[in-house]
Amino acid sequence: MRWCLALLICCLAVVNALSSSGSRLLAILEDTEQKDLYSTLWADLEARGYDVSIESSKSEQLALFKHGERAYDHLLILPPKSKGLGPSLTPKHILDFMNKDGNILLALSGKTATSSAISSLLLELDIHLSTDRSQVVVDHFNYDTLSAAEKHDVLVLQRPGPLRSDVKAFFDGEGVLALPRVAPQTLGDSALLSPILRAPATAYSYNPKEGMPAAEDILATGSQLNIVSAMQARNSARFTVLGSVESLEDKWFSASVKTPSGKKTSTVNREFAKQLTAWAFKETGVLKVDKVEHRLATEGAELNPSIYRIKNETIYSIEVSEYVYDKWVPFDVPGDDALQLEFTMLSPFHRLTLQPTHRTDTSTVFSTQFVTPDQHGIFSFRVNYKRPFLTSIEEKHEVTNRHFAHDEYPRSWAITGGWVWIAGLWSVIGGFLAFVIVWLYSAPVTDTLKKTQ
Amino acid sequence: MHLWQATVPFCLLAAAALPGAAATAWGFTDATVAVQPKGAGVNGGFKEQLAASKPLSKPISLFGADTLRVTLTAQEDSSPKRPDQAFLLLKDAQTGLDISYPFNVKDNGKSRVELSQKDLPIQFLSLSGPVDAHIVIGGFGSSDAYDNSVFKLSIDRNPEEAVPTVETERYGKKPEIHHIFKDSASSPPIVITLAFVAMVGAAIPALAGLWLFLGANINHLPSAFKSAPLSHATFLGSLIAFEGIFFLYYTSWNLFQILPAMAVVGAIAFVSGSRALGEVQGRRLAGLR
Repeated sequence: MRWCLALLICCLAVVNALSSSGSRLLAILEDTEQKDLYSTLWADLEARGYDVSIESSKSEQLALFKHGERAYDHLLILPPKSKGLGPSLTPKHILDFMNKDGNILLALSGKTATSSAISSLLLELDIHLSTDRSQVVVDHFNYDTLSAAEKHDVLVLQRPGPLRSDVKAFFDGEGVLALPRVAPQTLGDSALLSPILRAPATAYSYNPKEGMPAAEDILATGSQLNIVSAMQARNSARFTVLGSVESLEDKWFSASVKTPSGKKTSTVNREFAKQLTAWAFKETGVLKVDKVEHRLATEGAELNPSIYRIKNETIYSIEVSEYVYDKWVPFDVPGDDALQLEFTMLSPFHRLTLQPTHRTDTSTVFSTQFVTPDQHGIFSFRVNYKRPFLTSIEEKHEVTNRHFAHDEYPRSWAITGGWVWIAGLWSVIGGFLAFVIVWLYSAPVTDTLKKTQ
Repeated sequence: MHLWQATVPFCLLAAAALPGAAATAWGFTDATVAVQPKGAGVNGGFKEQLAASKPLSKPISLFGADTLRVTLTAQEDSSPKRPDQAFLLLKDAQTGLDISYPFNVKDNGKSRVELSQKDLPIQFLSLSGPVDAHIVIGGFGSSDAYDNSVFKLSIDRNPEEAVPTVETERYGKKPEIHHIFKDSASSPPIVITLAFVAMVGAAIPALAGLWLFLGANINHLPSAFKSAPLSHATFLGSLIAFEGIFFLYYTSWNLFQILPAMAVVGAIAFVSGSRALGEVQGRRLAGLR
């Protein structure tokens, strides 16, 4: 019986050994006969536990939603040649899918003009394509001399490092990528957008049908051209744009490339495709809060009380896990970054860095100790951790910060300045008692008075 | 990648040195860089020749409304030719910013680009040091492209004018905030307090001395206790008990504890006080007071 249960748990673990947000993946190809071009990609995804369904965008029974719920967890869209993706995949449907926490990986191709439906979908997310939608990135320095000796449109680039010094690198590693016929994107100014792979500084884009554009027609050059970019919505749903769909083909997974100045090497497209799909479909960069605790810094204090007093020494701790491919591991904050706690009433009174204090097998406990401000009111412990490439953490726990009670102030004898008044009070009391005794028992002093009279 | 680009000129040199190497390379000649202040004539201002192999030693200053002009003739293996890519590329190594300005290229390879501060993105205006200006010339096909730093461009501004900045919101850590507490209440120095306590304490001996000087005494105490011992003792005792209750109220008791005690002591004081004061009245009627 017990081994039966163990086997069941084991099976469940195997089935769940993939994305933190579900396994149903829908791949949209305009022409399903093209699916053999990407057979390694499908095999890799299935090996990681995805339940891949490949559908044509022209299919009649294709629907992203069933009974108002998502029918799939993830969507992989390969670029269509026709004007749109069909009636069941309008930009509105795709945005609804994201609003319901679905993840999308959209591949573009510079081979043909991008369809206007996709362009308007990207515009909704503040990702911009060129106005003619048929630009290709070329670089006369980092191209593959074997396959694109004349056209220079197969870029050979290193895998990207971290975006900033305080951002975790999810796509780095050794080796070069071959990116044939990239459709470049430029990004709007939004904190939700982040570039994954940018073109080198010497790259530019042009329309192969029209030749080199006039100087005033160039909108972006160099690193402003994005080859792979990502948008993570406020609900942490992910939208990833890959400029070169051909880089996912079997052919480029194991191709050999050579730059003008380099040696012949084989590409790491397969490894990069794994990193990219893993991030896009929430196998990496997913954070989870396991537990939040706050209490007074005294021994045996009550856990998570609803009321604190001003100037109380308080300890706050939060337990965070990160999902990496198939398991939860302790979360490490990247080097220059910090997980911060705010103690807020309208605006933060304290904003403190939470330090890792304890590690379990699957999580890290971050905590800090501080004194509640000398302002009474309704405060909240807030952890608002939103970073590029990581799902957001937003924890808010409301507590009352009360004033001193009447019997919690220091007593008057403890205040040295009050001693004068205390001494005055007791000397009046002593004087009163002495006066009563003298008045009750004093004999009149007649003798001396008589003598003087 | 930097290493790659650094190796490009070496590869070019190597290619030139080897007689058997067939690869052709892009380059330029007759290059000049000029800075023309606003309002000055075409030939006004600063002008210098550029060499393809070596960058200028001094940074070129682009101040205020000046216009920077770079002209050159692009070449493919020493013969003028129109390249597919001819860019003036500005790069800042510290921030990683880069932007390219394409040359206006004629068919004979003659190229020209003009640039003033208002063409630059706002991020370039607030840089601390000069940026690297590269010339990038390349084309399709097998010729090696050219990309070298030819001069440093220092983007200068009138220090009295505010540098335009751009507010961008990016997710990241925010500055720490530590609440500044109000100063706690403080007492005067203990010496001053003790001096005033001593002055207050001295009032009791001073009062006693004054009374004794005026002849205050307790000569009637034995006779009073002889005639009404119980009432005098309880009356004085109840007065002292009142003060004791006040002391307990001050230190630990609450109002509900002192009220019954006060009621009891007050009743005792009323009864015993009227008896004791009756005795005092007896002494007055007897002419003793």
